[in-house]
Amino acid sequence: MIFFFIILFAISLIYLALTERVARFITLLIIQGILLAGIAYWHLKHIDVIHLSFILLETLVVKSIGIPVFLNYLRKRNRLNRLNESKVPTFVSILILSAGLVFGFLLSNYLQDTHIETIFFAVAISSVIAGLFFIISHRNVFTHLIGYLVIQNGIFLMSLSVGAEMPMLINNAILLDLFISVLVLGIFINKVGDTFQNLTVDGLSQLKH
Amino acid sequence: MIAWGFILTIASSLIFPGIVMKTKAILEGRKGPGLLQPLFDIGRLLRKGSVYSHTTSLVFQIAPVMYLASVIIAAFFIPFGETSGLLSFECDFVFFAYLLAIGKFMMIIAAMDTGSGFEGMGANREALYSMLVEPAFFILMGSLVLLTNSVSLHDFYTNIYSSSHLTYLLVIVGVFLLLQISLVENSRLPVDDPKTHLELTMVHEVMVLDHSGFDMAIIHYSTGLKFALFGSLIANFLIPASASVGTQSIVFMLVQIGCAVLIGISESFRARNKMAKNPQWILTLSATALIVFLASLILTHKFMDIDPVGDGTHCFSGLPDPYP
Repeated sequence: MIFFFIILFAISLIYLALTERVARFITLLIIQGILLAGIAYWHLKHIDVIHLSFILLETLVVKSIGIPVFLNYLRKRNRLNRLNESKVPTFVSILILSAGLVFGFLLSNYLQDTHIETIFFAVAISSVIAGLFFIISHRNVFTHLIGYLVIQNGIFLMSLSVGAEMPMLINNAILLDLFISVLVLGIFINKVGDTFQNLTVDGLSQLKH
Repeated sequence: MIAWGFILTIASSLIFPGIVMKTKAILEGRKGPGLLQPLFDIGRLLRKGSVYSHTTSLVFQIAPVMYLASVIIAAFFIPFGETSGLLSFECDFVFFAYLLAIGKFMMIIAAMDTGSGFEGMGANREALYSMLVEPAFFILMGSLVLLTNSVSLHDFYTNIYSSSHLTYLLVIVGVFLLLQISLVENSRLPVDDPKTHLELTMVHEVMVLDHSGFDMAIIHYSTGLKFALFGSLIANFLIPASASVGTQSIVFMLVQIGCAVLIGISESFRARNKMAKNPQWILTLSATALIVFLASLILTHKFMDIDPVGDGTHCFSGLPDPYP
């Protein structure tokens, strides 16, 4: 089942490049959160209940419900419907993300180690590449936030790839990091939206003058 | 018995368009035409003669027949459960794909033959979409070759579930891909809308504007048959190998009906893509097929090691390694 969820997670990265509607971005993040919860459950079901519950809470409640609800609030407040301000054509984006996936698999194959679950690692690397590419290729702050969340999902997968579980403290730190980043970027988005009536970051470069 | 897959495919092609129309009608709150209405329409067209423009040549006149012939011959390769199709040989899936491509090629040059700007535009789009969807089909077939260690359509279905329990999961994605490929190949939503009346936004429909009567009937039937072909490819994945022929036939027809209903539902609730978005939507299918291919490479130990500890079990499931 884990294998299937990982494949679906990789497919969701491709569909991320195809998407333009903000609501669909949020849906994809919800799907990724649910998939991560499934992967974490099947991978870590042997660990103690409290730790497992915390990880499931992190993936299901925070990644699939909490953050998407907040993103939806941002979407409605800033009247965001469609984000087609990518600097790279979608066709090229899909090719680049596919190349990223292949690169992730090749790198994982090269780094084969008994301590690394290779397929987790491959998709995690691909997810980080997809998130970074997503941030670089878009001008809108909201899509930067989406890219950041995709990177976070990749890091979560990477943590699963290098061992059975992360120490609770690191898990808490990542969760706190996620919360603060989303909250700060959310406030930033609202402020930018209120001031410029537009969420593209092009205008921000004028600030230095 | 060897022709049973072919017979069932032909039988399902007779009702496939009717089920799609009926599903759409019910979902739109209409009573809709009967299931056999498309067949009656084809019968009516068959009784009419064809009208040919003076600008067209022999190519235009033979194209519909060539189109139908290519799709019928492609149907010869459709296996039924563990029984092979009327024709079966190594790498027949390549022949199958290019038979369908020959039919499409004939329709494209027939559209160009009319000299109409609109038809040329439609032919251009159809050629582009076919070119883009081809990698998805072949990457998917490549995955099946890897998973089954065989190179013919019949062997794919015979060996697919004997390799690993994880194959079931890849088959789900494969079925999804085949369904999407069939939508592109048959010019349906979200790539093309057969109901559109504006030539500028048409793809397949604008290519056949100059055909009439008998030729039009052939084209309509070929489209239904092509749908049934892809439905049969999907149905073969789901036929229980150990069941009797009767049960297998019922499952086969149920899957065909299910595919038609699914297409009807999707066309009722789905908006058509903008023309410029179609290439990237189709490319997504190839990218998804690439993921299936990579997964197949991993499952068959051609790439990466999913048993790094070397204890003979999958690191995902703990189950015995299917490829020791």
